[in-house]
Amino acid sequence: MIPAKIEAIFIQITTDFSGVIQNIDAGKFAKNEFSLQESIYEVCPFLEGTVEALETNKPFLLEGMVIVSNNKEYNVDIELFKTENSIEIIIHNRTNVYKIVDQLNQNRNDIFFIKREIAEKNKELDRLRKIADKANEEKSRFLAMMSHEIRNPLNSILGYAELISAEKLTDSVADYIKNLSSAGTNLKVIVDDILDLSRIEAGKLQLASEKISIRNIIQNCENDFKHQQKNEKATLKFYVSNNIPQFLIGDSVRIHQILSNLIGNAIKFTEKGIIKTAVKVVSEDKNEVKILFSVSDTGRGMSDQQITKIFEEYQQNKLSDNRIKGGAGLGLAIVNRLVHAMKGKISVESKLNIGTIFFVEIPFKIVANTITQPLTSHSVKPLINLKEKKILVADDDTLNLTIVSHFLAKEKAEITMVKDGLEALSKIETSSFDVILLDINMPNMTGEELVKKLNIFQEFNAKTPILALTANTTEEDIKRYKDIGFSGVISKPFTSEIFLKKIQEVL
Amino acid sequence: MIAKKVLLVGNFGVGKTSLIRRFVLNEFSEDYISTIGVRVSKKVVEYENETIKLMIWDVAGTSGNEKIPKAYFLGAHAAMFVFDVSREETYLTIDENLQMVKELSGLQNITIVGNKKDLLTQKELNKVIEQVSVNIDLITSAKENDNVEAAFMQLTAQTLN
Ligand SMILES: Nc1nc2c(ncn2[C@@H]2O[C@H](COP(=O)(O)OP(=O)(O)OP(=O)(O)O)[C@@H](O)[C@H]2O)c(=O)[nH]1
Ligand SMILES: [Mg+2]
Repeated sequence: MIPAKIEAIFIQITTDFSGVIQNIDAGKFAKNEFSLQESIYEVCPFLEGTVEALETNKPFLLEGMVIVSNNKEYNVDIELFKTENSIEIIIHNRTNVYKIVDQLNQNRNDIFFIKREIAEKNKELDRLRKIADKANEEKSRFLAMMSHEIRNPLNSILGYAELISAEKLTDSVADYIKNLSSAGTNLKVIVDDILDLSRIEAGKLQLASEKISIRNIIQNCENDFKHQQKNEKATLKFYVSNNIPQFLIGDSVRIHQILSNLIGNAIKFTEKGIIKTAVKVVSEDKNEVKILFSVSDTGRGMSDQQITKIFEEYQQNKLSDNRIKGGAGLGLAIVNRLVHAMKGKISVESKLNIGTIFFVEIPFKIVANTITQPLTSHSVKPLINLKEKKILVADDDTLNLTIVSHFLAKEKAEITMVKDGLEALSKIETSSFDVILLDINMPNMTGEELVKKLNIFQEFNAKTPILALTANTTEEDIKRYKDIGFSGVISKPFTSEIFLKKIQEVL
Repeated sequence: MIAKKVLLVGNFGVGKTSLIRRFVLNEFSEDYISTIGVRVSKKVVEYENETIKLMIWDVAGTSGNEKIPKAYFLGAHAAMFVFDVSREETYLTIDENLQMVKELSGLQNITIVGNKKDLLTQKELNKVIEQVSVNIDLITSAKENDNVEAAFMQLTAQTLN
């Protein structure tokens, strides 16, 4: 006797060679589907064609087939054995086992297709990112080029404005010129900002690593803004905590730029109250000190929503801000990038109508105590008299030439002006000068080509300093100019003060 | 009426079940329910004045070079190898896979079908055709009922060789 539980999971049937059921030998699985003298193919269609092909006396196994009994599907394994005159068939119910296989299989396939989808999405993302990166690069390049192109004419505008303002003028014209200058100066700030930002984005910004004094930087900021700040209802305050090391390693120009931006912003948006800049040490160890700069104001403040956007490019909170406050809204984007380039952190807290406070935390390397050479003083030395100094100026741009000659004439220098490289060459070969100023982009022979011709200087100008006049002022450019023989670079646009200072430096 | 046993084999998910459903029931579903073991469907077709009962074995898809149980091929008259034109891995090693099917089944000719044509542009499709190292008999879409009938007719023709 076979136990009932076992009987329920199989059935053994004998058929003839064409699948007609001869006998039901044992088991009860799906028993009522099978009747004597009927074809087994009705329930087991997979046996049709298979049975006929069986070899005699050789057991045969068919796994994973399906039969339907009482409208329910069952997964079954089939054992077949062909004898001389009949076929023995055992059908095993394996539904439970196959259920698990099914589950596993389904999971395998789902994972496979999900993986594929993710891979495709990633590919797409990658492609989009590349397009975006490229577009961004193009943008930076375009901006850099544009700003560069704008700088040259801007130089002329500012220069002429300076020349005109030195003339005898009626009050109204003097006023116009003042407005013209200030508009030009504003434009220059914007152009410089754009150039800065595109440089940073193109990864071309190089931070200086020099000995700096935080105290001096703050002092400079204080001086700058005390001059500019004309709103009597807003007071500027500066605090530097005592434990700030005297000297640190950093980039003073860029730190000054960060603070100027933040303070300038605070001034713009504060009608009355206090604008406070404070500097303190956050932490310090043998090699490094973390310094926290904070700039707080009592201005109109920002909503949380505005805060999330302020470090983005071209961001000014009110549409009208642009017109009232000037600038392209690039300042904070630049600050943000500069701070990150210095491995620092920037954050902001603000309450509408109460005020805003910016925190900038920057780590600085500490200067080993033994080296205590004093900082080169930045105070302006009295100008040397250029009287009777012989100066050669070569520039194909008449406007520039006029401005330069005017600056020099005021200092009573003896000026020789030429309009291209070849003319400059013949002058250099025939007379001696105290300083030679060469525009880089000149027809016939560029300033660069000229400088490389060492022999032309030998007779009369072997020791004469040569300065490049150029708007190409990336660090690489300047380094290249110095490498090929220029003593220095006067970057366009320039004010008379900067121009003369540069000349004085090489004399 | 003569009965012929045919099998559909190939990688999992290429659309074997979908092709059969389209051919037998003229239905299609986006859902993917992986076949376990084998499902057999029947369809009576007319071919060159013959009435043929096709016993169509829908064999669970394989992955990689996993083997199909040899027992399934017993008494088979023809087989269709299906790949998915949108999935490289289903046709890159088609040479080896076909060789294996031929050895297991003892069949000389196998109908080769690239399915899911609707997922590719004509240009992409041409690239696939170039890549596939064997001669493709038909390119189908179970979804859009494109060439499905023709593929099974070709398969039927092979049962008579
Ligand atoms: N777009 C499109 N999808 C299809 C086509 N044929 C099948 N599919 C889809 O592909 C998936 C797999 O189809 P199935 O027919 O189950 O594939 P299979 O080859 O039987 O898979 P296994 O049984 O696991 O070997 C399902 O989601 C179908 O909807 C087609 O022609 N076009
Ligand atoms: Mg299937």
